[in-house]
Amino acid sequence: MDFRRPLAALLLSLATASTAWAESPIRIGWLSSLTGALSSAAVAENQGVQFAVDEINQTGGIGGRKIELVTYDTQGDPTKAVNFAQRLAFVDKVHFVIGPVNSGESLATVPIVAKAGIPNIIIGTIDELVDPKRFPRAFRAINTNRQWITAANDYALKTLKKSKIAIIGDTSGYGTSSAKTAAELLEKAGVKPVFSTLVDPNKTDLTDELAKAKAAGADVVMPWSAATGLLARLLNARGDMGWKVSIVGHPALMAPAIRKLLNKPEYWTDAYAAGYVSMTAGADGKLPAATKSLVDRMRPKLGGAEIDFMFWWVALGYDTVHIVEHAVKKAGGTDPAAIQKALETTAELKGVYADYTWTAEDRNGFPDVGVVMNLADSFKDGTYRAPKAP
Amino acid sequence: MLGVLVTGLAIGALYAATALAYNVMYSTSKVLSVTTGHLAMLGGVFGAWFVTELGWHPVPALFASLAVGAFAGWLTDVIAIRRVLARSDEHLWLLSTLALATIVQQGVALWWGTEPKPFPRLLPQDFTAGLADQKYWLPIGTTIVMAAALELFYRRTLYGKLFVAMSEDAFAARARGVETDRLRAISYGIAGALGALAGFAAGQLTFAFFAVGLTLTLNGFIALAVGGLGSNVGALVGGAALGLLNAFSANLIGGEYQNTVSVGLLMLVLLLKPEGLFGSRRVRPV
Repeated sequence: MDFRRPLAALLLSLATASTAWAESPIRIGWLSSLTGALSSAAVAENQGVQFAVDEINQTGGIGGRKIELVTYDTQGDPTKAVNFAQRLAFVDKVHFVIGPVNSGESLATVPIVAKAGIPNIIIGTIDELVDPKRFPRAFRAINTNRQWITAANDYALKTLKKSKIAIIGDTSGYGTSSAKTAAELLEKAGVKPVFSTLVDPNKTDLTDELAKAKAAGADVVMPWSAATGLLARLLNARGDMGWKVSIVGHPALMAPAIRKLLNKPEYWTDAYAAGYVSMTAGADGKLPAATKSLVDRMRPKLGGAEIDFMFWWVALGYDTVHIVEHAVKKAGGTDPAAIQKALETTAELKGVYADYTWTAEDRNGFPDVGVVMNLADSFKDGTYRAPKAP
Repeated sequence: MLGVLVTGLAIGALYAATALAYNVMYSTSKVLSVTTGHLAMLGGVFGAWFVTELGWHPVPALFASLAVGAFAGWLTDVIAIRRVLARSDEHLWLLSTLALATIVQQGVALWWGTEPKPFPRLLPQDFTAGLADQKYWLPIGTTIVMAAALELFYRRTLYGKLFVAMSEDAFAARARGVETDRLRAISYGIAGALGALAGFAAGQLTFAFFAVGLTLTLNGFIALAVGGLGSNVGALVGGAALGLLNAFSANLIGGEYQNTVSVGLLMLVLLLKPEGLFGSRRVRPV
């Protein structure tokens, strides 16, 4: 029997398949709210995503396969996000989906991407977005909201040694659930908040709420809102009242946009916000090496001057693409089941924003030790400083 | 409680001023334009831009903001009202003004940014003035002056009387030689300037923020419906009532119920007195 011809055909088909594998691009869908009310973080994350894709493609891609990024602007609208998620899954047929950026949009898209069986890198913080049973291929890169809240609670109770806490959340879904979680975690630690309230994120004055917190004897005010306008009004109300009380809470407390909204610059002191170890300069004023390296490489792309937005969004975007790179390399391709296996057995994957670990039971990759409290008024060149020990 | 009263009155004054701008446009067109709140937003954003970015003195910045508002008002008429009214009696203006409002809001967001930005201090005053702070009294005082000026305009000027004539019966006014299209365009320009004035006066309260427009459109409408469509006194009372109700409901039962209370007030008044507190019940003779 002459087996040379079938063998040649087999070798030829293997060679063709291997060439096709090498040549076909890895398609990453990127759901980002590049315009609209929630665009600040997304625009920065997009810089990181684009930069990582360009870097990887310039060095030959992943295993010889270039990355093809399919970006859709959801405008922060869950309805648009759903339409684009379906388009990515069933029309563009992407291998991965990164995003969406906001938790509200992610709540709507994660089940769709999960049903299509596509690996999804989650960058929303609320608990409901990951579930190894319902969404087995959804892996979270960003920290959870609970990690921020835990860090803030611990800072108030253990570092500042203050336990008369007033919680102020905004009436958005995020603010309401964060305020509730903060109260629950405090009560678990044996501390009942002395005052707790919700306010409309567009409320023009918070003097009334702070007066009530003061009357209740609060020695720490803990705001849970991502609305910089509301947080600036809180700082202004505290300053105008002349009330010396610490403010500890959401990362938006240290957003650069707040600086200009303050009646006086000193109103920003004695305020602490949850931040990241990777974005915090040490006592010597130096950033972690990986962060500094990324800042230096990206600075020309960002205009060459000092960075005037929170750099962690860039680092997170950058890391999401490298998580995809890691998964494809470890899985030896883009088979979704292999990618799932590769990611759920990933431990201590080095990133700029954090080092990630996922397991079969836990899809939250961000480590607790990656969160640290920052001085709210310490923003410089995209990063922050840690407060001195009291 | 005095603090709640003053802050409630201040934001209520802004709602009332928006309701006044609604009234001016409604008088000549019978249209409730969705862009009304956005005219105030433009006053705040452009006022902040002229003073903080371009370094202008607040007085020329105020007049330039009024000009921007007047232009935006006139544009509302040209783009979203004129052709729609000429071609259809249906309420298609709701869609056309909503579309224009969305374009204006998104345009401002792209240019100005989506984060609130500071509005400059207009009068020299320390921030520790408490309830005497200009951020509360400027919108309250401006709105009262605005309402008084409108009353004088309607009663004492030829154009004001023409507005009233158009408001009573546009067809009859046109039959008597009134240029109704031109008057409507003027009324939209005036409403734009008034809206911008309100936004400028309340800028320290709201910050220069692109998303303020929609909130004002909604709350200005509630103030107008509660006070009575077409009544300037009603707009003042409706705005003050809404602002105070919002402030006291947030204080007494919590911020999460604030919007429920606003819409509840609207529903209650519409059920008990559909024409509003100061509106006139028109009876059409048949």
